[in-house]
Amino acid sequence: MSKMVKLCTLEDLPERGARGFDPEQWGHDTVFVVRRGRFVYAYRDLCPHYGNTALPWRKDAYLDTKGEAIVCAAHGARFEIATGLCTSGPCLGKSLVQIPLRVSNGGDVLATLDTNNNGAESP
Amino acid sequence: MNIIGPDALLFGIDDIDAATQYLTDYGLEPIGNGRFEALDGTAVIIAPKDDPSLPAPLETGSMLRKTLYGVADQATLDAIADELGRDREVKRLQDGSLEATDDVGFVLGFQVTVRRPLSLPAEAINAPGAPPQRPVNEIGVEGGAQPRPRTLSHVVYFVPDAARTEAFYAERLGFATSDRFTGVGSFMRPVGTQDHHTLFFIQTPPHMQGCEHFTFHMGGPTEVMQAGNHMVSKGYQSFWGPGRHLFGSNWFWYFKSPFGCNMEYDADMDLHDEQWTAREAFLSADTTQAFLLQPREKWAPMGPPPKAAE
Ligand code: FES
Ligand SMILES: [Fe+2]
Repeated sequence: MSKMVKLCTLEDLPERGARGFDPEQWGHDTVFVVRRGRFVYAYRDLCPHYGNTALPWRKDAYLDTKGEAIVCAAHGARFEIATGLCTSGPCLGKSLVQIPLRVSNGGDVLATLDTNNNGAESP
Repeated sequence: MNIIGPDALLFGIDDIDAATQYLTDYGLEPIGNGRFEALDGTAVIIAPKDDPSLPAPLETGSMLRKTLYGVADQATLDAIADELGRDREVKRLQDGSLEATDDVGFVLGFQVTVRRPLSLPAEAINAPGAPPQRPVNEIGVEGGAQPRPRTLSHVVYFVPDAARTEAFYAERLGFATSDRFTGVGSFMRPVGTQDHHTLFFIQTPPHMQGCEHFTFHMGGPTEVMQAGNHMVSKGYQSFWGPGRHLFGSNWFWYFKSPFGCNMEYDADMDLHDEQWTAREAFLSADTTQAFLLQPREKWAPMGPPPKAAE
C-alpha cells in the first residue's frame, strides 16, 4: 500500500539545500528532500551503513558544506544527490532509499510513501 | 612505554564555524588556534582541511588527521622514538613532539602530556546499606546544569586489519588488551592508565578506514544525561544512547557531529591492571550494552490543576 503526502511547497525549500520531514508523525524526521533549483529529490532518512540510523548531525544538515553531496554525519558516507548512490565511506556502492516525488502545478511537493514500510526503527 | 592516553585529536574540516559551535555546545572550552579543551587540558584541535600544518589525510577522506598521545616524560618520548625509528620515519616537530604512522596508516603524535591534574569529586550516590556518599543536606542534582567534560577518554577506529593493529599497539607501544569482540577488534589501554580502554578498533573493509567515534569522560552518569540532554535541546541528533556498555561498564551517549564521526560522552569506566584477564564475546546488541534508552522531551504526568473541593 502507498499513499501520497504533501511534504511542503517548493517555496518552503531552500534553492540549493535540504530539509527533513516527519510525514508519518514518528516524532523525528524520517524523510528528507534535497532541492537544486527546479529539481527535487527525496530519500528515506536512513543510512545504509548501519541501516537504521538517520543521517544529519543537526536538523536538516544533510548536505556537505558546498551543497554538492548528501552526507551521513555518523561516519562521513557521501551520496550523490540525484541518485542516492554512496560514492565514498562505509556503505560505498549502496544506495539511499529513494521516495517518488512529484511537484504539482500549484507547487506542492508530494511524496508517495510506502505505508507498509515506515523505514524507521520502532521507537 | 609510559603512554597515558590521547592528549588531543586533530581534525581537518570544511566548516570551521559549525565545528566551533558544536564543540562549544558539547562543553569544551575554545582557547584559540582551533583548540577546544576539557577541564584537564586534553583537547580537540580543528583546522581547515587544506591547512598545510596537518598531516595528510587517509585515502578514505576521514577527517581525523592525527591522534596525539600524552606520555609521562621525556624518557618515554625518547624510548618511543627509538622503538618506532627501527622501521619507520619518526619526525620530531618544532614543539618537541614526535610524529609517526602506525601499521595500518593512522598518524600518531607523542608529546610529554599537557594534562593538568584534576581534583574533582565523582558523582556521589546514597544507597541503603552503604554509608552515604553525600553528606546530609547535600543536594544531588541541579536542574539545567551544563557539566563540562573532564578529560579525553578514548578514540575508536575502523581498521582494515584488527589483528595487525592490536599487534602494533601491544608490541611496539606496550598497550594491554582489556577485552575483545571476536573477529571485530580489541579494547586496549596503554601502560600509563588503568582505564578499560583509550583505544578500540573495529575490523572493516579498507574503504571504511577512519574514526568511528571519540569521547570525553564526564563526572558520572548524571553528567552524561545532563550534557546529552543539553545537546538534544540544542538540536543535535543522538546516534546511540543513552545507555551503559558491558565491556568497560561505561555509561555512553553518542551524537553525530560535523567531524564525520560520532562524538560521545562517557562516565564511570572500569579500571584494570595486569591482574585482569581479557574477556571475549561475539558482538551483538546484548553484548554491547546492559541497557539502551532513548531521549524524549521533558514531560510530566500532570493534567490541569485539580479543582478546589466544592
Ligand atoms: S551510519 Fe551513516 S556512515 Fe555510518
Ligand atoms: Fe566509546
